[in-house]
Formats: sequence, C-alpha cells, structure tokens
Amino acid sequence: MKLNKYFERSLWVFHLNTGSCNGCDIEIVAGLTPRYDLERFGIKLVGSPKHADVLLVTGPVTSKMLDRVKRVYEQTPDPKAVIVVGACGTSGGVFYNSYNISGSVDKVIPVDVYVPGCPPRPEAIINGVLQAWIKLENLRESMKTAQAK
Amino acid sequence: MLGLLETGSGFWSAIIWVLLVLVIGSMVIYIRNKGEDSYKKNTEQDKPFISGNPEENKESSHLSANHIYWGFTEALKGYYNPLIKIHTGNINDYSGWIIVITVIILIMVGVSG
Ligand code: SF4
Repeated sequence: MKLNKYFERSLWVFHLNTGSCNGCDIEIVAGLTPRYDLERFGIKLVGSPKHADVLLVTGPVTSKMLDRVKRVYEQTPDPKAVIVVGACGTSGGVFYNSYNISGSVDKVIPVDVYVPGCPPRPEAIINGVLQAWIKLENLRESMKTAQAK
Repeated sequence: MLGLLETGSGFWSAIIWVLLVLVIGSMVIYIRNKGEDSYKKNTEQDKPFISGNPEENKESSHLSANHIYWGFTEALKGYYNPLIKIHTGNINDYSGWIIVITVIILIMVGVSG
C-alpha cells in the first residue's frame, strides 16, 4: 500500500511567473476566489515545485529567469504537466523579440497545454487545468503499465 | 527515579514517556516509509528548492537573520562586487581615488573651459 496513491486525485499546482505583467497571474488567483472556487475540486496552489503535479507558467521567459525555469522544471517530480497561461508565454506576446527575452516558454521546457489570451479568462485557465489533468492521468497509467512489465 | 510524579495538575512517569516516544516514533517511521520514493536520485529532484536559484556551498549560503537586504544585494551583485573590492579599508587607496578623480575633474574643467 502506498500512501501517495490517495493523493493522486487532488491536483497541486505550482505557479511560476517568468516575467509576466501580472495580468495572467491575477486571473489565476481569480480562479481560486469564491466565484470559481477551484479548491473544491482539490486543485490548489502550492509553494514549492517539489509538491506539485502541474507547473502553471505565465509570461515570456526573460534572460534572468532562463536557468531558473529549467531548474524549477527539473525539480518538479514526475509525472508532471506544464500549462502556459497567456499570449506572452505562448509566443512572446507583446514582448515578442524584445532584447531581454529568451523566447516563449516552449523554447525552454516542454509544454503540454497552452491557454491563449491576454489575459485569458478564468474559465479558459480552468479548462487548461482540466486538459493537463487528463494528460497526467494518461501519464500515470502509462507509468503504471511500464512498471508492471 | 522511575516512579510516578504526581502534582496538583497531573502526573509524569518516565516509563510512560519512553514508551510513548517509542510508539509515536515507530508510527512516524512507518508512515514516512510509505512516502514517495520514485524521485530521481542525483538530479535536481534531490536538491532543495531555493526559488529556482542554484544551491550554493554551505559557506557561501550562510545568511545571518538580520541581513534583510540579502535579496537586494544578491540581485545587484554585478554592481556590488566591484564596489566592495574597491573598498579596501586602506586610507592610501582612498586618497589615491580622491587625487585621481580631482585630476579627471580638473582636466574636464580645463578642456571645456
Ligand atoms: S499575456 Fe497579457 S496579461 Fe498575460 S502576462 Fe502577457 S501581457 Fe500580461
């Protein structure tokens, strides 16, 4: 019996701001307010990537954040999913080709779900989390079958 | 020594205390052993999370509790490190700086005047 098995149904999310204008971040927080109340589904923001199943990344990757993004991704336990929230992280957005930007998030770490918008509505972010959840369930299944073999 | 100590507000017994430590300790060890063991050893997953910053060696990562400007000086270390180097504490160096800067100012005033 593994205790961890019982934690799989709740999705813990680490929010990483790689240089966003804070617009997307406010919409993420809106998803936790009583109007949307994501926490009733067991989805919550955590303070360390070591506790997280999902990385929620906002903003384009600034040069200063480049190696930090990579490190946080590597520190997140497997299986993990990465959601990019906002136009900036998806393509660079309004900061596209800026002198201090290393590019969109998928140039630095693998991304599973993109939530477009500037900023996206909380409903869109919640839908993105749902997609990541489905992806994680599949990953867990394939890890289990690989272990069983 | 191992007897029961009774006071007005309860009792204390060394034997019960030792037994409780053993029982609670073994429960903690049991639950801990049921925890996550699938992390990848000798990778970043093994290292502490310091807001995404690399882990430094113990000597250079020592921070005194009253160093409230640590984040500030760490972020601006490209600016501070040369400044700290210039501050040698040697009065001859400081006098040298005053003379050099005075000469530069005089030359600038002389050229532009
Ligand atoms: S996508 Fe828009 S709201 Fe989000 S970080 Fe970029 S500029 Fe800000």
